[in-house]
Amino acid sequence: MTVTIHPSRRRFLAGAGGLAFAVLSGGGISVLRPSAQAATSTEPGVPVDAWVTIFPDDRVIIRYGAAEMGQGVSTSLPLIVAEELDADWDRVTVEQVSQDPQRLFGNPAFGGNLFSAGSTSLEGYFTALRIAGATARRVLIHTAAAAWGLPVDEVSTEPGVVVHEASGRRLRFGEIVALEEIRTDVLQVFEDDLKPREAWRLIGSGVGRRDIPGKTRGEAIYSIDVRVDGMVYAAQLLAPVEGEAPTVDNDADALSVPGVIAVVPLANSIGVVADTFEAALAGRDRLRVSWSTGSDFRSADSADELAQLAQAADDFSTEPVTWEARGDAAGALSAEGRRTVTAHYTTEHVYHAQMEPLNAVASVDHDGKGADVWVGSQSQTISLAVASHVLDTTPDRIRFHAMQMGGAFGRRTVFARDLLRDALLLSKTVGRPVKLIWTREDDVKNGWLRPATVHRLDAVLDETGRLEALRHRVASPSIMQFAFPNRWDPESRRDLLVMEGTESADYAIPNLLAEQVLVDRRSRVSAWRGIGWAPNCFARECFLDELADAAGSDPVSFRRDLLRDSPRGLEVLNKVVKMSGFGNPPEGRAHGLAFAGYKATLGAGVAEVSVTEGRLRVHRFWAAVDPGIVVHPLSYVGQVEGGIIFGLSSLLGERSTFTDGMIEQNNFYDYEILRIDAVPEIEVALVESGSPPSGGGEIGVPMTGGAVANAVRRLTGTQPRRMPFDLGDA
Amino acid sequence: MIRLTVNGRAVEVEAAPDTPLLWVLRDHLGLVGTRFGCGAGMCGACTVHLDGVATFSCLTAVEDAAHQQITTIEGLSPDGSHPVQRAWVAEQTPQCGYCQSGQIMRAAALLAANPTPSRDEIVGEMSANLCRCGTYPRIIRAIERAARED
Repeated sequence: MTVTIHPSRRRFLAGAGGLAFAVLSGGGISVLRPSAQAATSTEPGVPVDAWVTIFPDDRVIIRYGAAEMGQGVSTSLPLIVAEELDADWDRVTVEQVSQDPQRLFGNPAFGGNLFSAGSTSLEGYFTALRIAGATARRVLIHTAAAAWGLPVDEVSTEPGVVVHEASGRRLRFGEIVALEEIRTDVLQVFEDDLKPREAWRLIGSGVGRRDIPGKTRGEAIYSIDVRVDGMVYAAQLLAPVEGEAPTVDNDADALSVPGVIAVVPLANSIGVVADTFEAALAGRDRLRVSWSTGSDFRSADSADELAQLAQAADDFSTEPVTWEARGDAAGALSAEGRRTVTAHYTTEHVYHAQMEPLNAVASVDHDGKGADVWVGSQSQTISLAVASHVLDTTPDRIRFHAMQMGGAFGRRTVFARDLLRDALLLSKTVGRPVKLIWTREDDVKNGWLRPATVHRLDAVLDETGRLEALRHRVASPSIMQFAFPNRWDPESRRDLLVMEGTESADYAIPNLLAEQVLVDRRSRVSAWRGIGWAPNCFARECFLDELADAAGSDPVSFRRDLLRDSPRGLEVLNKVVKMSGFGNPPEGRAHGLAFAGYKATLGAGVAEVSVTEGRLRVHRFWAAVDPGIVVHPLSYVGQVEGGIIFGLSSLLGERSTFTDGMIEQNNFYDYEILRIDAVPEIEVALVESGSPPSGGGEIGVPMTGGAVANAVRRLTGTQPRRMPFDLGDA
Repeated sequence: MIRLTVNGRAVEVEAAPDTPLLWVLRDHLGLVGTRFGCGAGMCGACTVHLDGVATFSCLTAVEDAAHQQITTIEGLSPDGSHPVQRAWVAEQTPQCGYCQSGQIMRAAALLAANPTPSRDEIVGEMSANLCRCGTYPRIIRAIERAARED
């Protein structure tokens, strides 16, 4: 079978601008001569549907569909294509895909949407990108062989060059694309045709990230930096409580501020538009607004919610939602005369605190039915849909400019849609491009929080001390129901974003029941780095240490037994035990251990802590991680380090609270994220099993809670049961 | 009209005297490498040098900077080759990158004042700046490298 070719024209005029390869859904390829259709590319001559474009001057442009938010996809994804293409990496430039009308660039792990979340980019794109690169290489080889009149199997590649070793003939990629006849009648590439691992020279290598030099020179451009001719600025007075609507009592004072252009009432806010952002802020300060008072969230109180969750976790009269059931845990727990252990753990609300406050730039066309949009979004697909919906128009009228993000951590998926909507409405109203910026206070007070959770765990130990049955019950609001109503099934009520991880799939537990007790949300809830795995692994790994004690075992042996069917799990556990010298800490300190997978990525962590005068200090943290194949180790280790720091931050002090429906924190002075002086020495070991790549953005987070809590318990004799830790507990 | 010296260049801006220097740099002068993170002197994303001293531009009224040499990330070196910038690349420090201009400006000021800081001195000085991605270990290593190699 040969690959699909379109358009039918296979001959290219010599000296044409270049050649573009587009990999189509289904694995076909199209070879296109660059034309004026390059509307969304920054480079003239690059077709919108091309993964790879090669120019006669040997430059190669590789595009990537995921969105860069710091995780390194702008390097790691193109690197995969370049590997199979055998490109000269020094001649490769990378380019973000902003929109995808033909659905060519979507993440296969996200239904073909442009969506970057949950550590899925490498997992989803790995094979597709390898095939894309290999297909492009095959076309180059066939074309060169034909030009030489040689059999294809005598021709090979070196980086950027097709070579015929026997005769010493060489054609650079750029020379090939300028040839008159391009041979596209090549066999389709299958997985078996891809480079063997030992032939890789880019994947797994130490090449630097493409985005880093610019980021050290202040040249990286985020949406908050975008400047458009005629652009004005907007600040927003947001409803103090979710669901309330404004009435403007007096906008004259605001409008009298020099530079203020307009005061625009919106559904749940007032926009103040001005020539400068400082004028917009000054105008906002002078607005007099009354708010409606009918919102149910007026009574929302985080302390009340925690109490309600605690009650729900122990209330067996309501029907829970089963997440996972193996064997008969309920039967084992209710049987007479069994040795059972029960414990509770709590996690509080936390805020994303990405460093770039939410913002968007919109420039609506004069007819109100089209727009340019610049926004940092974890999903170009969702943001484009939001924009077309807001303007009641078709997606082709939205010129979407996907911007790299100053951090995201889950905040910039659907959870940022309201701000994009409001930027569009403001631009439409004032008839000019508008940059809408939230202040840090706006960002904190309108956070979409990781919900609080209360976990009740019950276990049965058999006569030999083995874990025979485990029930992991989570009381929590549903994130899916609120944030993804389209994907929420009211029948099954399964909430991936809260429950994933409770299935404890790597542990051999013959009877397991994981279930969620749904409680109505009292705040906006969303996914946060580590998603459900962070709270769930914290609770379970604390509990396992308590069980190990009850069984007369120890943290390592108890887990080794549970990982008896998981060679990969055992490997990371043994590795972290070895590298940390687990159990032999310096005087006055203790070690704590946690095993924590994140989907197919497996990890284990050890924390070394001390507690002095009630002050917890994490001195060292070791992590062993098996992410399958590591595409870009420098990025990968950075992701794990960052995840560990993110996790430590949440357990050492992050907490959003609310009363009367209002978040009480304001800024980084009362919502404190970890500073450099609290960061431990971190050592990360990659234990590559060779499985397909399974991502790295989250894995550092879920191992932190259990490792630190277990160390604290070993040191003080008291188990922390609540994140963030209150050492009053310990 | 306020006269400023930014990256060695004399400029004039139309801004109220109490306008935070941050907005003047970013919006009036287009030097967007200096970032807005908190507006409260808590994160350091807006760090610039005033006469060589690391300063929160979000808390500095533009009139107070009028008689000082203002240096932003764009002016730290002519071509991005300041020892701190080179070390930042060598250690592959940035992730999202948003806080890194501020981190680099603070590190450069530290090394100018103290070319061989101890680890405690590095950590103490850099505690003024936040990084949510968690690049802190690499920030420390990059400053140690810059001190060593310069």
